[in-house]
Amino acid sequence: MTLYRFNLYNGIGFVADEEGRELPDVAAARDEALKAVRGIIADEVLQGRLDLNGRIEVMDGEGPPVITLAFAEAVEIA
Amino acid sequence: MLKEADEKIGTQPNRSIGVGELWAGGLRKVGLATQHLQSDQHLPSDGCQAPRSLAPRPCNRLVARLEAVGNLSRDDREAIHAICRDAQAVPVHRSIIRAGEKPEHVHIVVEGWTARAETLADGTRQISAFLIPGDFCNLHAAILGEVDHDLIALTDAKVAFVPHEVMDDLARERPALRDALRWVNSVDEAVLRAWLSSIGRRDAYGRIAHLFCELHARMTLIGLVEHGCFDLPITQEMLADAQGLTPVHVNRTLQALRGDGLIELAERRLTILDMVGLQNAAGFDPTYLYLGMRARR
Repeated sequence: MTLYRFNLYNGIGFVADEEGRELPDVAAARDEALKAVRGIIADEVLQGRLDLNGRIEVMDGEGPPVITLAFAEAVEIA
Repeated sequence: MLKEADEKIGTQPNRSIGVGELWAGGLRKVGLATQHLQSDQHLPSDGCQAPRSLAPRPCNRLVARLEAVGNLSRDDREAIHAICRDAQAVPVHRSIIRAGEKPEHVHIVVEGWTARAETLADGTRQISAFLIPGDFCNLHAAILGEVDHDLIALTDAKVAFVPHEVMDDLARERPALRDALRWVNSVDEAVLRAWLSSIGRRDAYGRIAHLFCELHARMTLIGLVEHGCFDLPITQEMLADAQGLTPVHVNRTLQALRGDGLIELAERRLTILDMVGLQNAAGFDPTYLYLGMRARR
């Protein structure tokens, strides 16, 4: 298990993940990031707002992000 | 994925001790049982003092809850202390009872936080109740024959395993206690309805705000709030599982609540900076907690 931190950059600014989550691998971390982005977008859409400019950066230590997930990548726009 | 509740706390052999024995033993040793609870005091953080004025009695949180709704005699109070006297330590993430098991005990939380939880087919978890000191679980579950959810420790906890027969005798012999327990059980159901409304109808901001208002009220009742501060010893993942959100969304929502000057949360200790503002954000009406009302016979 690896501790991944999910730092969020979006409309309300930067939200650092102080806790992180223990996950088996990068694929699991990507799934978590996808779920997180979709949940946030869904909550905003219910309030009549859609802002796809945010991103999540997943860190597994001090180095560069192991995943950068743009909000726009988390949904398919038909 | 963090796999919770991989191990289960076994019930101890001393469960077979007779009701009368347990009773008498409890009453005899009440005077000796007063040193236990010191360990639930936490170190203060960021200038917010941890509660200090706690009556150092095992299970005094349950007594506090019950006394809020009924006039208990001294013997009633001693009876509660007696049944909680042999509370067992349960490490974080362990399960106390699992779905499908036969409920042989009523579980009373003496220290720490526990939760009712269900794991869905896709592996996600829904927490349907936070049980804090003084809360109990499975009061009437013996009738059903098996439990339909897990009871897990969210922190290191102490839990009393009280045989159903002991609870039945207690209810039969002590009408004031019986009524108070029924009252508390009914309030627990009301809390569940409030959670359902929140998850069904509030956005993330409103859900977390509502939960914090509720926890503030419940922690106040058991004497664990001081100057608007109380311990919130659980992770964002646990908050997320309780409120139908993701941990990232919870984190972002906490940031928004901080940004609006409503709360501060640091070192697992929550400070409510603006109670009226938080209540307005949540649309919080504490009626469902029936605070300051008395049980009717």
